[in-house]
Amino acid sequence: MPLYILRISSEHHSFRIPSLLSISQVFKFPIRFVSTDLSRGVLIVELEKEEDVEKILERDILVQSATELYAEGATYDELHANLRAKLEVFEPYKHSTFKITTDSCNHRIPEPRSRETINTFKYTGLRGGVSMKAPQVEFMICEDYEWEVANTPEARFARDGKFVRVYFGRRIGLGKARSLITSHAVNTRAYYGNTSMDAQMGFLMAGQALPGPGKIMYDPFVGTGSMLYAVAHWGSYVFGSDIDGRQIRGKTKGKGVRPGIYRSAAQYGLEDRFIDCLTYDVTRSPIRRGGWVDAIITDPPYGVRAGAKRLGRREGKKPLREAPYLMEDGEYSHKKPDYLPPSRPYELANLTVDLILLARWLLVPKGRLVFFLPTVNEDYDEIDIPLVEGMKELKIGDGSVQDFGKWGRRLITMEKTATDDGEPPTFEDHDEFDLKKVDGKLPGHFGFRERYLTGFRPRKHDKTDDVALTPDGEDASE
Amino acid sequence: MVRLITHNMLACHVKNCTKDNFPLAFSDVELVIRPAPENLEFINRFLPKLDWKALVDTARSLGDTTLPETMPESFTEDELRALHHVLMEMHVEEGNMTCRGCGHVYPISNGIPNMLLAEHEVGR
Repeated sequence: MPLYILRISSEHHSFRIPSLLSISQVFKFPIRFVSTDLSRGVLIVELEKEEDVEKILERDILVQSATELYAEGATYDELHANLRAKLEVFEPYKHSTFKITTDSCNHRIPEPRSRETINTFKYTGLRGGVSMKAPQVEFMICEDYEWEVANTPEARFARDGKFVRVYFGRRIGLGKARSLITSHAVNTRAYYGNTSMDAQMGFLMAGQALPGPGKIMYDPFVGTGSMLYAVAHWGSYVFGSDIDGRQIRGKTKGKGVRPGIYRSAAQYGLEDRFIDCLTYDVTRSPIRRGGWVDAIITDPPYGVRAGAKRLGRREGKKPLREAPYLMEDGEYSHKKPDYLPPSRPYELANLTVDLILLARWLLVPKGRLVFFLPTVNEDYDEIDIPLVEGMKELKIGDGSVQDFGKWGRRLITMEKTATDDGEPPTFEDHDEFDLKKVDGKLPGHFGFRERYLTGFRPRKHDKTDDVALTPDGEDASE
Repeated sequence: MVRLITHNMLACHVKNCTKDNFPLAFSDVELVIRPAPENLEFINRFLPKLDWKALVDTARSLGDTTLPETMPESFTEDELRALHHVLMEMHVEEGNMTCRGCGHVYPISNGIPNMLLAEHEVGR
């Protein structure tokens, strides 16, 4: 099977393999990774046919270009020897107009040497004539360098030619999804908030949900909708819910005003894929049955910019009212148009387990749950991802992590292995995270907000620390 | 824009409300029809998840009588089209959804239903 050179962005390198695998799964083609170092700017993959490469160029936001690999080597001598041994690859292009370009990773080849190098490929016997503007076929030389800081022109010149490996091949095309980073940039969006996910990361997450036409996907913490634009872009129907309807609508109110999320959806031409956005607390949800959602994709609020909330009153405060409250003006409080029920903080550790239980119920068999889990890097442990019967984590290598130093966020992808719907989750608080009941190890994302705000001081596991460990949040009723 | 596909998935979830809590009854409705590209394969795949009686009754309450009383064993393309229209193209922009069991009113404004419970309706 043919080999292909993918020139791939060095950003988010722990996301690239999951991203490629998900695309191969959506379009049902096999992919094999030939490169041994999967974090370099050049990634060699084996695919059955060129169509599969086109799919990757169409979908993968990290892939810059793709080239069919003809020959490679640690030196040009080796490369030329390998290429001379298979000159038949040029046969179909003998009379096509062509151009040869140079490319490089972690380096820029000076123009004169670039020209010089191109001229050493005369033996390829191409007779169609050079066309720089509109060649019928384009060949590419790609030199791959180690990453190194070279601040001066002299330093850059000194390392020129000292590449690790050089490749030659026929260019298939440029990555088309790259442009989504700018076309879907948050700052040009009709409606967004301070928790909106940046476009590139949004698309990387979306890819994990295996989006496509005729699938239905749900974000239970929809906020300003960032997760949904990306999965809807790839064809999925979407719906979302949030305890805070103001996030969905935006500031402007009144009859005839289009909610913010729908304004952004319209900007991207996705209005008919946005099935609905609803205001409710996912722990008190009106969804009547399970087993019909293809993917749940969400960036749960973990408390730095917005804390997670659920209906209820905080422990130790007055209990929830059992009966409606009659106000002095003779009206029930909950009948007032501006009524907001009281809410309490939703601890991230509880939320995470609930989210997986929700997915176990709501997803179709083999449906996916994709979400970010923030975690304190020092404390992270395998057990941090709760085990739920019927749900399996799909993890590649050490997983996909966006590292911010002391903390990071991991992209968790899970698949529903169960074939039944099962029972809806009860959303009770989980005893294993109740500080009054456990002494054991807490997950790295427990009490995340508090830990973030205190600079990630090491956690003591004794009970006297209770106060500092309890995540904070405001009570909407106060 | 509460669409009927969404409406068919929603039940009243007030504490202890388990009888007649589905489907919610529309009232004071402002209905908008917005043509949407067809994906009949999706409609076909979604069929088993629907509650047919609730869908037909609700569509009729909104003036659409194209769906047959009982769910056909297999659908013709025209029937799937009618179903696509009911599920995906009928939007309730304003109005109320009322629980026939407990009477809770879920208001819809600008197409977004408010399904938050009042304090005394939250369980536990």
